Amino acid sequence: MSEPMLLIRDLHVRVGDREVLRGINLEVPAGEVHAIMGPNGSGKSSLSYVLAGKPGYEVTSGSVRYLGKDLLTLSPEERAREGVFLGFQYPIEIPGVNNAYLLRAAMNAGLRHRGQPEIDAFDFLQLVQERMKLMRMDESFLARGVNEGFSGGEKKRNEILQMLVLEPRLAVLDETDSGLDIDALKVVAAGIASLRSPERAIVLVTHYQRLLDHIAPDRVHVLARGRILRSGGPELALELEKRGYDWLLDEAA
Amino acid sequence: MSAAAPHVPHAVGVSYEQRLRAAIMSAAPMLDSRIVPLAARSEALNHALAAGLPKRRDDLWRYADLRYLDSAPLGPVAATSPATDAPVLPPRLPGFTRLVLHNGRLVTSLSDPCPALSRDSTPLVPVRTRHERFGWLNDAFATDVARLVVDGQAMIEVVIASTAGAFAQAAHPRVEVSLRENAELVLVERHVGSLGDEGLVNLAVQLHGAPGSRCRHLRWQSLSEDAQLLDTMQVALDSDARYSLALLQLGSRSARSSLRVSLYGRAAQATICGVSVAGARRTLDTSLLIDHIGADTSSTQTLRALARERAQLAWRSRVEVAATARGTNCQQSLKGLLNNPGAEIDLRPQLEIHTDAVRASHGATTGALDQNMLFYLLSRGLDADTARGLLEWAFCEDAISLIDQPLLRRQAELALAERLGNSVAQEVVA
Repeated sequence: MSEPMLLIRDLHVRVGDREVLRGINLEVPAGEVHAIMGPNGSGKSSLSYVLAGKPGYEVTSGSVRYLGKDLLTLSPEERAREGVFLGFQYPIEIPGVNNAYLLRAAMNAGLRHRGQPEIDAFDFLQLVQERMKLMRMDESFLARGVNEGFSGGEKKRNEILQMLVLEPRLAVLDETDSGLDIDALKVVAAGIASLRSPERAIVLVTHYQRLLDHIAPDRVHVLARGRILRSGGPELALELEKRGYDWLLDEAA
Repeated sequence: MSAAAPHVPHAVGVSYEQRLRAAIMSAAPMLDSRIVPLAARSEALNHALAAGLPKRRDDLWRYADLRYLDSAPLGPVAATSPATDAPVLPPRLPGFTRLVLHNGRLVTSLSDPCPALSRDSTPLVPVRTRHERFGWLNDAFATDVARLVVDGQAMIEVVIASTAGAFAQAAHPRVEVSLRENAELVLVERHVGSLGDEGLVNLAVQLHGAPGSRCRHLRWQSLSEDAQLLDTMQVALDSDARYSLALLQLGSRSARSSLRVSLYGRAAQATICGVSVAGARRTLDTSLLIDHIGADTSSTQTLRALARERAQLAWRSRVEVAATARGTNCQQSLKGLLNNPGAEIDLRPQLEIHTDAVRASHGATTGALDQNMLFYLLSRGLDADTARGLLEWAFCEDAISLIDQPLLRRQAELALAERLGNSVAQEVVA
């Protein structure tokens, strides 16, 4: 059997003096959607950041392989160009850099990396307009600063729009469902679901079942105190919704 | 170069006051009373002598690099022939009437006919409004003036060009602008060239806006890397006058600008946005004073400073709200971006209010590039240089985007992109 798309072995990570991940083991094969759930402070966002290469997250031991390569040796931008996408829990506002510019620059960085020609301005606009329609976003967003003055829901939609334009192989979405009303959740979920394909893997970091009502996960993992305490099928998420996390924490203690 | 050009000795060790007196004697034949009346020149010289050079401990001057004034010449030299010593001028701006001041003198052969150009010998702004020592110096030594009276609408570009000649010299370019009632002026003031590291450009600009007038003013300083600039600008606004100032401070080795905007008429408005960029060991020091005197006046400032290498940038921005200025609205936003550990930025917002019923806000922050923003861009696949370039651009664009006149904004963006020298900025404005 070939190696899964994402293969994490005994991953330990420190931020400053604090060990935030304490031996994560995780396999995500192409074509699957995995949900990572867990209480606040369990290490979910840390895992997302480590995969994206955020400075300050020091891997003390273990390995992360992505498409057969050592992911940890790649810079954040190389990871992105290799098809890793992080949907931020709190998307950053960058006034003065407009959305259209960022989208195009990001897309072209990926194309160049793969040895393909840069996208023509008209083709780009057409592509973005299609994707924006799917995300029910007004075209005026393109001319605005990246996430500048966006509501919480707009920021999350914008993250998914970027994902749809960049078409990553591995999408790690950190609490993309938080702060969304019911309608926005449906739109965001539809956006994510549209990317589901045999060539891609999606990791959904979430607190709640409600996103998983729209995107059925293949596997569910419970992360707490920097470790994966339990893995299971979609029924595990339903059980967590009913019983909370305490019983798992008690079992692990 | 005229062979008759007097060479004012400027040996080190001779006091500033002695050099001033010597300079005025040498320059006397050039000091035309139609530019500034002789009595006013004499009074100004006395003020300049009394003020002397700023001391390092003087809070208003502590960040200015004025060491060169210990030896720099102070007086002007005789005019050179424009034919043999023509300055390199920037490309023209479409739709603008151009006036060229070269080494402090209006050059007719390089300027367009300009209906607003006044030949009247009465200064447009009373001498007593002077607030600053090098403004006095300009009054004393000005060899020419671009005196503009604007009725109706006008678009005028004043190029203030400097070129070093055989003798080290000071030039004292002078611009006086008067907007009549309801007049509208788009004014571009460009500073190019240099008098070299032994010379001095000491500029004075005065602008008066009559009731209901509207002035959009771009001050675009892209002097050469060895230029030394002293600059005093005074703006006075009558009721309902609106004045928008965009400052681009991109060049020179040492520049000090002293700006004062007086909002004395009811409901006068001033909107100021500015960007200073410096690298190497350059020093750009700006001191801005806004006086709210009339009721219901408003002012906003959006100032951005970007320091690279070992540059020093300083912005003092003081707003004074007089007891008469009820209903004043004033906002200040000052931000500095340090691109290198050896760079220095000093932002000093100051607010003094003598009345109630005022809305005032101010903020000043200085720091390195935001690492979260940087990571966000990297996580989308942009390389580090592009991401940094984009963030530097965005930092400055924050101020430039407030220029509401499309042509001025475009020019400012192009100039800034070129100054930043990063391909990203150039791509963004392309």
